[in-house]
Amino acid sequence: MDTLASLLHTSPALAWMVVKIVIVFSAVMLLASVWTWVERRGSAMIQDRIGPNRAALFGRIRIIGLAQLLADGIKFFFKEDLEPTDVNKGLFWLAPFLAFVPAMMGFAVIPFGRDFVSGGATYHLSVLDPGNGMGMLYPMAIGGLAVYGVLVAAWSSNNKWSILGGMRASAAMVSYEIGMSLAVVSIFMTTGGYDPAEIISAQGSLPWHWNVVPQFLGFIVFFTCMFAETNRLPFDFAEGESEIVAGFNTEYGSMKFSLLALAEYAHLMTASALVVTLFFGGWQVPFVAHPSVGLSILSFVVKLLFFAWVFVWIRWTLPRFRYDQMMRLGWKAMLPMSMVNLVVHAWLMSHGR
Amino acid sequence: MGVVVKKVELSWLDRTYVWPVLKGMGITFKHFIKQLFTPTSKRYTIQYPDMKKVMPAGYRGLHELKRFEDGAIKCVACFMCAEACPARCISIEAEEFSDLNITQGFEEKRPQVFKIDMLRCIYCGMCEEACPKDAIWLRNDYEVAAYDRLSMQFGKWDLMNTYAEADGKARITEDPIPSAPRRAIAM
Amino acid sequence: MFLAFALITLLGALGMLLQKNIIVAGLFMVASFFGVAGLFVLLGNPVAAALQIIVYTGAILVLVLFVIMMLNSHEEEPAETSRPIQRWVSVVLSLALAAGAVKLVLASKGLQQLAEKGAPVPQGVTLQGVGAVLFANHLLGFEVAGLMLLAAMVGAVALTKRNL
Repeated sequence: MDTLASLLHTSPALAWMVVKIVIVFSAVMLLASVWTWVERRGSAMIQDRIGPNRAALFGRIRIIGLAQLLADGIKFFFKEDLEPTDVNKGLFWLAPFLAFVPAMMGFAVIPFGRDFVSGGATYHLSVLDPGNGMGMLYPMAIGGLAVYGVLVAAWSSNNKWSILGGMRASAAMVSYEIGMSLAVVSIFMTTGGYDPAEIISAQGSLPWHWNVVPQFLGFIVFFTCMFAETNRLPFDFAEGESEIVAGFNTEYGSMKFSLLALAEYAHLMTASALVVTLFFGGWQVPFVAHPSVGLSILSFVVKLLFFAWVFVWIRWTLPRFRYDQMMRLGWKAMLPMSMVNLVVHAWLMSHGR
Repeated sequence: MGVVVKKVELSWLDRTYVWPVLKGMGITFKHFIKQLFTPTSKRYTIQYPDMKKVMPAGYRGLHELKRFEDGAIKCVACFMCAEACPARCISIEAEEFSDLNITQGFEEKRPQVFKIDMLRCIYCGMCEEACPKDAIWLRNDYEVAAYDRLSMQFGKWDLMNTYAEADGKARITEDPIPSAPRRAIAM
Repeated sequence: MFLAFALITLLGALGMLLQKNIIVAGLFMVASFFGVAGLFVLLGNPVAAALQIIVYTGAILVLVLFVIMMLNSHEEEPAETSRPIQRWVSVVLSLALAAGAVKLVLASKGLQQLAEKGAPVPQGVTLQGVGAVLFANHLLGFEVAGLMLLAAMVGAVALTKRNL
């Protein structure tokens, strides 16, 4: 790190920051684009199909179809950037970025490995160092902003189906945010802190001390709400082929559509990182009290990918909810459940547990 | 009159919704694993250009004009197929040929032009039914495609050679000079 | 940093005022709130920044935009006959508000501490600190606010849903 810093004529702290940003965001983007392929291939396997397996590098190297994402990217990049005549131009262009940026930004506070000391300085493996005062409030704030991408895309397209999709998606996101926040609050309470690093270190390395076990109800609420937040399938209201065409991205094509689609997967990655951090001990390795840095990163990535896969898996298991059913579930099941969770844990804490 | 809907009483476990979801996930995961470890050749999907479906015996695909062993066409230009064809895609021009040495004085007919418009053909198999000489068969080749309309007009020699490779026969491009009386061969 | 955030705030507010399209105005307001959140971070109060974004941009403005879209009034309403007195009253009121705000800021303890040299730099506010202050020193205010919101909610439900 010091050599890199001296090479770039900056301080080690700044160099480390840049390295972290580059690694984290490129990794998230790469995973998001890989996950577009995983989604298609996984769904194919689940439905006894085969999925995209024919794209090949130079027409020869066919890595189980992984070149598909490159092909998709190139295709989207070179497609004509069509803009319907009656759209609100500025917002139409702004919306994909409004969707993509929050999805990426949410990852910034997640620690993806344990701290290490090098050359007398401690290095934290998260883009924003712990103790920044924002803690877990930050991904929640950023998650709230994700609504704007959908809403603005929907409104600026000047299309009735778009606006219907955007409206019901944003209504879903806003209502599920409450249950999600309460589930997170009970974790803040039992941890006694709201910094992700604190939450992770409080969970320890034993799997039955992780937050899933004492707060199983909270986990279910949080995970369910994450589906609504990321607009994934059981609560996929931004889109709906059978009723509102493609929802908020009906009018989008080429690179703008690809950004919107990537935003969904980046959001998925962030959501599963949040689940891992809050409920599954983050980078903690099961049964290893003091893991090495590499092992902790590996553990985090494995958990992250597992939950990202669960998102895909559930998408191809459950049919889409009806809108009123989902609202009822959100307000009459998720909210009371997370409140019960909160109250029960408050009661347990007041009795010295 | 409506249909009486039988309501299913859900147990409390089912009404939590979590357990049924887990069950469903189990089912999808079973399918996933099964499909993942099935070799490509045994999957339901036939990956077309690499793998081809074996057509059943009665399949009506691309036509073949049958030939005798010496390569002479079996068709006698009776126009039955052209009459039977509901799509009117067969056009035949007959010619007479008589080689007194060989046909022993009989005048015989054969098509000079036998054309099938493959863009019109509906592969109904009526020509095959109508043919008194079993000279036209619809067989198992389903890959009938071309880059332009003209090459979908299959002529006599095209039709006689459609299955030449598949049957391991030689391609022929002209009527052979018969070496024996046609009758004898037919019998 | 300060200049950037201040500019974002002011330009956002200005854009909101001048923009004819309601939705775009709302988005300008989001930008303005962002600037305010950035200023909060610079003031060593990231909790307030986070809450600003969660509550205002993440919830309230979304709902406002939601309602605007639901009513879907694309064309702007013509202003009613403007009376000059309204303008003057508004100028006077906003000046009074600004004066009050400036006075409050100047009189605050933190600023006086900043003026002294060698005074301890105020620590960043944490969520725990906010919670303790809210539930220990300002419990009454907190409860009253909660009760008021509950009453407002009940009132809204009672008003909109005629046949309960």
